[in-house]
Amino acid sequence: MPRKILIDCDPGIDDAMAILAALHSPELEVVGITTVFGNADVENCSLNALRLVELEGNDQIPVARGCQRALVVPLESVGTHVHGLDGMGNTNLPLPHGQLDGRHAAEFIIEMVQTYPGEITLLPIGPLSNIGLALRLEPGIVPLVKEVVLMGGNIYAPGNISPLAEANIYHDPHAADLVFRAGWPLTMVGLDVTTKTVITPAFLERLYAVHNPVTRLLERIQPCYQQFHQEVFGMDGSFHVHDPSVVAYLLQPDLYRIQQMPVYVETEGRGLGQTVADGRRQWAERPLINIPLEVDEAGVLELLFELLTRPVSPSDVGTPG
Amino acid sequence: MQRIWIDTDTASDDAVAILMALRWPGVQVEGISTVAGNVPLEMCSRNARTTVELCGKVVPVFEGAVRPLLREPYWAFFFHGPDGMGGMNYPEPKTPPQETPAVEAMIQAFRQSPGEITLITLGPLTNLALALALAPDLVEKIPLCIMMAGAACTVGNITPAAEYNVWVDPEAARMVYLSGLPLVQVGWELCRGEANLNESDYQYIRSLDTIYGHFTLDCNRQAIQTNREWLGDPALPLPDPITMAILLEPGIVRRRSKHFVDIETISEMTRGMTVVDERNVTKKEPNVDVIWEIDIPAWKETLFKTLR
Amino acid sequence: MPRKILIDADPGIDDALAILAALRSPELDVVGLSIVFGNADVDSCALNGLRLVELEGHDYVPVAKGCAQALFIPTEELGTAVHGLDGMGNTHLPLPHGQLDDRPAAEFIIDMVKAYPGEITLVPLGPLSNIGLALRLEPKIAGLVKEVVLMGGNAYVPGNISPVAEANIYHDPHAAEIVFSAGWPLTMVGLDVTTRTRMNPEYLARLYAAGNPAVKLLEQIHPCYKAYFDLHYNLQGTIHTHDPSTIAYLLAPQLYTGLKVPVHVETEGKCAGQTVPDAWHQWAERPPVNVLVGVDEPAVLELLFNLLTK
Repeated sequence: MPRKILIDCDPGIDDAMAILAALHSPELEVVGITTVFGNADVENCSLNALRLVELEGNDQIPVARGCQRALVVPLESVGTHVHGLDGMGNTNLPLPHGQLDGRHAAEFIIEMVQTYPGEITLLPIGPLSNIGLALRLEPGIVPLVKEVVLMGGNIYAPGNISPLAEANIYHDPHAADLVFRAGWPLTMVGLDVTTKTVITPAFLERLYAVHNPVTRLLERIQPCYQQFHQEVFGMDGSFHVHDPSVVAYLLQPDLYRIQQMPVYVETEGRGLGQTVADGRRQWAERPLINIPLEVDEAGVLELLFELLTRPVSPSDVGTPG
Repeated sequence: MQRIWIDTDTASDDAVAILMALRWPGVQVEGISTVAGNVPLEMCSRNARTTVELCGKVVPVFEGAVRPLLREPYWAFFFHGPDGMGGMNYPEPKTPPQETPAVEAMIQAFRQSPGEITLITLGPLTNLALALALAPDLVEKIPLCIMMAGAACTVGNITPAAEYNVWVDPEAARMVYLSGLPLVQVGWELCRGEANLNESDYQYIRSLDTIYGHFTLDCNRQAIQTNREWLGDPALPLPDPITMAILLEPGIVRRRSKHFVDIETISEMTRGMTVVDERNVTKKEPNVDVIWEIDIPAWKETLFKTLR
Repeated sequence: MPRKILIDADPGIDDALAILAALRSPELDVVGLSIVFGNADVDSCALNGLRLVELEGHDYVPVAKGCAQALFIPTEELGTAVHGLDGMGNTHLPLPHGQLDDRPAAEFIIDMVKAYPGEITLVPLGPLSNIGLALRLEPKIAGLVKEVVLMGGNAYVPGNISPVAEANIYHDPHAAEIVFSAGWPLTMVGLDVTTRTRMNPEYLARLYAAGNPAVKLLEQIHPCYKAYFDLHYNLQGTIHTHDPSTIAYLLAPQLYTGLKVPVHVETEGKCAGQTVPDAWHQWAERPPVNVLVGVDEPAVLELLFNLLTK
């Protein structure tokens, strides 16, 4: 039986690749998508989520819109310089046909978790506002969630949005702190592995050579993302594999070397959003988090290639319209 | 003979305070140490020496810290004018500054005459904090330190929460406040409202027709104008001279009480706030004698005495 | 001509090894030793400073006592759990014969730097209180010091005294922030290299076998230090090479690789004392410092071995 996952996201170019890879995996059943501000404003991210489920006829999957800003810190800016104003590399795609679920993302998450107790894996790949809010609205979800596998944070690698912080955590550090100390099984797929997993122009050439709706969409939206990685990190067309790494981890955790440590989130000052591993238990006790620190890069890339280029069997495709 | 040491970021109102001390009978100014604050250090040093020469006195002027301990400097030209003296461009003083650095000179002076020299600070507390770090024994050697600093349970002037001197170098202020020195806090609020010099005060001072009177109003030209435009206040606030008046005539104080006072250094919003535990809710030992109210006519008379 | 160095230290067991190695090096001229609190209280550290210069007849080196506490924060705890109450592994050695210089350390540092403009290399091995204070008392020294090579901080490895902070920086983060922003040539010899340079029991046994006063002292004081590393890192008699790494770097910089990057010091909150490299210049500009990140461990160990046994 496929594993039930609920993706909380801010699509977002790398979110798009992660979501499409998940939708292509027979081992995963995407029971819902919730959206949050982050890579773009929440309106655009929600439109993009609808576009992504509709791309290959997965429009039976509900999409619920969530937080437009962090729980505590005021909204400074969203990641549109990385992902384009529309969150899809300024490609201004046609509007989706479908409608959003009427519930707020946090309510949707709570209801799904309560409907499938012990079955749902949460996959947050944006700021953690919706998850943090859900935790405070209904603390009872903690033991009902199977596990949480999130993209965010950094332990020994430097940050990306600041010298210390990764963007998802930085955008809502208070929500992140709630998530990291909730006590549920949590894996933090952070910059320590995502920046060591690099998609190159050669990989993309191979990917785009396979024609399916997924690779055609990726080919359109990717240049904006490549440009950012060139300007800031000088990567010559290559880029880091952030959000798709959570899907790779879910499917093949053995591609990663994991260490378990408690993790704190800095919520004040210039270190805002820093995820601090307390490896020697020098601070007050906290739950242990799974932290992938090393990655089999080639293995992850091959897995993602295989997922994104896999022929979609007719039974997987819903009836259009 | 009362012996005092003045630590100052000499701009216009500091200059008036220095003048008051130099003109007060029975007071001997042992030394003047300058610190970056209202204006850069060289300007403070120059303004202090200008003031000493105007009064026809010989007092050594020492040069101290060129910047706050950790924060970047923040000059107050907008209030004190481009030369710190209302743009009066007084001629270069004849006396050079002393070669001994101010902090060293302060340590020497207080160690040589333990318990005998009262310290008055009119600027950021950087020099005193450095002196205490280098010579912790000064805590026993300075009998009293009167500070123009802070805002007791009221709004600030440079931010809604903080007074300029403390805000500029909050870390130095905290080092001094928690050092164990006997401290008196004269907050900026004491110079507001009726305590301002007003039009009739100006007229009176001009009518004295002394170099001291004219100097007092001339070097504060910019302050009068800025205060009018910035705070909508028609008159001249003189926090440093009020602090000096309290040293010279302690009787002008109407209400004072001792409290635990700490300085906020972490927050940006309330940086440099003097948090006065007026109700003793922290149960911490009082460290500061807070001045709450002065006799305004008596303060003005104390000033006028030195201008006649 | 030997290179003039002024060591600012809190001896301290690893300080002792560093200072003895420096005194024994013909390429280094130790022009003074200034003392700060840290591994033990400043009075104990000062006594140890005198003991170390007297041990092999270097008592012409002036020793000046400095800060007993951090510039700004109250001192919570000294390093006596690591270095013993006396800073020398609770060996309670005989009192030294010599006297301290009568200047406070910060003044001594300023005087020495001004006496030899452009010649002095500062080698801070403890909390940076004396150096930070000297910089604020006499900002000109920033332009008169040849360079600063300090033990402290951590860039891409965890801290030791807290999950994010190294002990020297943690003990006076405000002073460290002053030192890292001063704009002088600065090399940070931090945990990135010192925890990767390890003296194991075999190495130490070979060292002690040389039988000279320096290694005999180390043999006497080391057990306390080893006990700490056993307890907290399960190193079984092996120790990290913190302070001595600065001397190895001074003598053989080619044994290290460094990154030129601005470093900021966190002064507040739970992460106080964290040294943050800002490789992509995302925070306010400040001059880059040389952060050591790679080390040729065997060569460093051999260099120190040769110095201490010759």
